Formats: sequence, C-alpha cells, structure tokens
Amino acid sequence: MSNIPENTVYGGPKPQNTEQRVTLAHLKQKHKKGIPITMVTAYDYPSAVHLDTAGIDICLVGDSAAMVVHGYDTTLPITLDEMLVHCRAVARGANRPLLVGDLPFGTYESSSQQAVDSAVRILKEGGMDAIKLEGASPSRITAAKAIVEAGIAVIGHVGLTPQAISVLGGFRPQGRNISSAVKVVETALALQEAGCFAVVLECVPAPVAAAATSILGIPTIGIGAGPYCSGQVLVYHDLLGMLRHPHHAKVTPKFCKQYAHVGDVINKALVEYKDEVTSGSFPGPDHSPYKISASEVWWFLG
Amino acid sequence: MAVFSNLLRHATVLRHRFTLRSMSNIPENTVYGGPKPQNTEQRVTLAHLKQKHKKGIPITMVTAYDYPSAVHLDTAGIDICLVGDSAAMVVHGYDTTLPITLDEMLVHCRAVARGANRPLLVGDLPFGTYESSSQQAVDSAVRILKEGGMDAIKLEGASPSRITAAKAIVEAGIAVIGHVGLTPQAISVLGGFRPQGRNISSAVKVVETALALQEAGCFAVVLECVPAPVAAAATSILGIPTIGIGAGPFCSGQVLVYHDLLGMLQHPHHAKVTPKFCKQYAHVGDVINKALVEYKDEVTSGSFPGPDHSPYKISASEVGGFLDELKQMGLDKAASAAAEAVEKMEKNKITS
Repeated sequence: MSNIPENTVYGGPKPQNTEQRVTLAHLKQKHKKGIPITMVTAYDYPSAVHLDTAGIDICLVGDSAAMVVHGYDTTLPITLDEMLVHCRAVARGANRPLLVGDLPFGTYESSSQQAVDSAVRILKEGGMDAIKLEGASPSRITAAKAIVEAGIAVIGHVGLTPQAISVLGGFRPQGRNISSAVKVVETALALQEAGCFAVVLECVPAPVAAAATSILGIPTIGIGAGPYCSGQVLVYHDLLGMLRHPHHAKVTPKFCKQYAHVGDVINKALVEYKDEVTSGSFPGPDHSPYKISASEVWWFLG
Repeated sequence: MAVFSNLLRHATVLRHRFTLRSMSNIPENTVYGGPKPQNTEQRVTLAHLKQKHKKGIPITMVTAYDYPSAVHLDTAGIDICLVGDSAAMVVHGYDTTLPITLDEMLVHCRAVARGANRPLLVGDLPFGTYESSSQQAVDSAVRILKEGGMDAIKLEGASPSRITAAKAIVEAGIAVIGHVGLTPQAISVLGGFRPQGRNISSAVKVVETALALQEAGCFAVVLECVPAPVAAAATSILGIPTIGIGAGPFCSGQVLVYHDLLGMLQHPHHAKVTPKFCKQYAHVGDVINKALVEYKDEVTSGSFPGPDHSPYKISASEVGGFLDELKQMGLDKAASAAAEAVEKMEKNKITS
C-alpha cells in the first residue's frame, strides 16, 4: 500500500522504497508545475510490478478488467468481490504508484450509504489508496461527497462513462455538441466541489477537455480526450498490444497508441514451445536438472 | 409453447452465465442455443489426447489464468489449457500456492473458458478444497465444471485418501489428471519446493503412486520435478500419458507455467525465483517495460496523444455556441483555453 506510514510499527522494520511513494501531495506538485501525470491500469501482481518498475504515477485497478481480463463485452458484469481480488493482487505488486480502485457497476448507484460501503471495502479489503467512480448526476455528486467525508480520496470520471452504455446507447464519445460539451465542464466542476482530487475525462473532443482542464483547480486525466489534460491514462492490454487476433484488433480503441505488440511476442514464444515439445527438443539437458545418484539408480532399476 | 419458451429462457440465462460455446466438450450441435459457428479445427478431447499418446506425439500443456492468455494458448495451438493454482503466485503475488480459494479459482476458470475454444480445459483443485473427505473433493470438482466451465480437474498427491478421492471424482463423471513428484500444495511436509524421486524409496513411490492414480481412473498424470530416469520408468509402465514439468524429456508431454515460459517478470528478484527447468521462450517483461517507459516519456513530454490519437471532434458549427455558453457561465478562462485548443488542433491537422 503506497500510503502506509514510512515507519511501520508492528510489522517490524520494512525496507521502504527509497524513491518517494506517490501521494496526493506529489500529484498536486506535478499538476502545479505543469508536469503531466501518468496513469495505467493493472489487474494483477505482474502488471503492478511492471507499472512500478516503469515509474508510472498512478496504478488504476479498473473495472475494464471485466473486458480485458474476463473477456466480457462490457464492464458491467464484474462484481465488487472480483474487483477486490484484483486490488489485492495489485497492492502486493506495486510499492510506489498511487493505487486507485474502480467502483464497479451496481455497487454505488442506489444510495450514498451503498457508495460509502463499497468504497470502504476497496480500501479496507482491497488495499487501495483511493477510489474512482463514474458519472455526475446529482445523486452521483452526493455519493462522491459522502465518500470523501468518509475519509476516502475520490477520482471523478465524466465524458464517456462505460458503465452507462445502456443510456448512452453504446461506447459513444461525448461532448460533441454544445449542451453535451457544457455538461462535461459543469460536471467536472461539480465533482471538484464535492471533493474529488482529480477527474478522468473520457472520449471527449480536445477543446472540451482543454476548457475543463483550464477551469479546474484539480488535475484532469484524459483518455481519448486529446493532449490538453493534466495527465493521461490508458488500458494496460491496449497500450501493450496484448491481443493481436483480427477480431480484437477491430475493437482496440483508436485513441490508444500501441507501444508494443506483446501479443505477437507471446504467440511466437508459445508456438516455439509447442514445436520444441512436439519435436522432443524441449526439455534438453539444460532444463532437466534433477538427478538420481548413480548408486541409487541401479537399485531403483533392480 | 410455454415449455419451449421456458427452455429458451433457461438456455439464454445459461449462456449469459458463461458462454457455452467456449466449453470444449459441448456437443457439436447445440440445440437450445441456436446455431453456433463451431471451430472447424477439432476441439481437443480425451480421445484426441489418447490418439496423440498412442502415436507417440508429445502433448503440450500450458497454464492460463484469464481471457487473453486463454486466447493466446488457443491461437498457438496448445493441447491443454490448465487453470493452475499457480495463479496464487504468478497472478496474486503470494509466495506459495496455498492462499488461493475455490471461488477465486472459479473466477479464473470462467475467464479462461471465455477465451479458449479449442484446447482441453483443466482446472486445479486448490489447497484445502479436497483433502478432508471424498465428499468435499467431489463437491469441489463439481463446482469447477459446473460454475467454472472446465472440462476436467487436476488434484495433487497420492496418499490413500487422495486416491480414494480421485476415484470418487471419476465416478461422479469428472475426468481427473493426477499429479505426483513435487506437489506444491504439500510444501509444509516436503519442507519447501524440493524435487522428489532422488533416492530409491522416493523414486519407487513416484512410479507406484502414478500406477495407483491410473487405477483410480485418471486419464493422465503430471510428474513434477523428478529425475528423468524416474519419469521414464513411470511413463513406460503407464497406459495413460504423463505430462512432465522439470521431469526430463521422456514424458508423454510437457507443461510449463505461462509467466515463466514467457519471461513475464524480469526484475532480478523474480529472476532468482524462476525455476531452472523452465526455458524462457521470450522476455515479455522487458518488452512491457520498454513500452511502459516509452508511454511515460511521451506523456511527460506531451507528445502523446498526438493528432492521430485525438480523434473526437466538436463540429465547427457547435464550437462557437460552446464558447458562448462558457462565457455566459462566467468561465472565460475555459472559453479561451477551448478556442486555443481548436486552433492548435487545426494547425496540427494541416502540418501532420
């Protein structure tokens, strides 16, 4: 957990990461100095380690797990218990980045009490430092405020909010007409007022994101929202080119740059493993390390 | 009519729980789910594996824990996809395989079932879910198939109670892979991840227990971390295939952990704990690190996202109205930032 005290009492002396752990103050400093904030999603121990090693600021355990880890078509099916499993795995892997857990669909919409209870679990049982929730209807703003009052840091999320595809009619970019664009700016302001320390802007035109970013005192983290946000976020699997099948290539978002083609690397490795096993060349002597001593062998065979 | 629509509704519910099409032993012609595009390549079944074994063609097995890894295994043509309790270590970051629960394993199983159409799907019974009685073992195995969408289960060990449990599970109609040699769930009594079969009694035990598991009805046996001659002895005497890991080249097939064979974790700490019997066929961890550092640098320098990755536009006709609204709300700073952005985006479009 990145916000545990430097000197942990009961756990005994722990080798703390010499580099500064990312805290809210750290992010505020970056925002003030105009240094862009980096955020990437992670869902398990290895990806958390990767983000930590690469020096990413914020590690988001996103409900996008429903799609990229569990293979669903939307983010709706994932449960809070499943999210908590992801959160714990990530918490074990990432020492330095700030850890943020998404509140999944259905765990915070019906009342502020429900929202606070879910957010509490994400921190208590999930080991996260903060939570993110989607949307900015009045009830959502009220919920965000209640969560902040419960002592839990909140990132807001406006623009395309994937949990709302039912009313949005699909994964459709927002802010492309006047009223929608104004709404993005207004709701971002309302979330700031409710106590959010940052706001994610998803799939809105760059000028709309620029307007919101300039008027807010808190940082904006963009995805498919152009270069004028205070920071950027991308989904781990998308930025790494994890899935290369033509079917998946079609559903990779166009705002996402693929910084690698890990799927191709994996395919090549697996095919080579398959070929070597089939031909009998794996395992060779280098990979068959266990011996039975000469004396024992004869007794064994006898 | 009512009966039929009830059946349709039931089938729809089942399909939404986990996509039936992803289970590799569903019938070719699915009745209630409607016509499904079946994979033209043969789905891997027990018969398929028996054929390979008979012909002396090595069987390939790799672990997978989620949708993308399952897709990768399917695409690469791996025979068996094992949802291993090794997830506790490589996915969840624990030091042993003991902490993972059956509910957590089921989540992994379902994700894998959604991704892999062709390989045979095998789910591990995790520590603590099958040792206390045969009833417990059968109940856990049932859940792995019923709720996890797997085709078969694997359990570790070959004490008499374990053999009895394996038999009960087979009698319940569930195919079982046995596992002898180093059984990671037993590190408490083994005293660590220690290779087995390196003295006479231990070596003989490997062969004997593999035979007992065959007798109990297992369709294959995993041999883990035993000397190659011991694995060779077991393989030759068994009628069912052996799948080796750290057991030399004389088994009927091989299995490796996904993350280990791909070199997923490259940190010196993790390099130390990569097993020596595992060949790294790639260094995915390095590829990932390079990509993440590049993303970080591009965001920090402001070069990402460029015009190619900022696709959403507000139309020229709407922009004016947007700026006016902002000014009316007293947000002049926002209006000028937006106007500036529009200008810059236009300029980039022309120069790009």
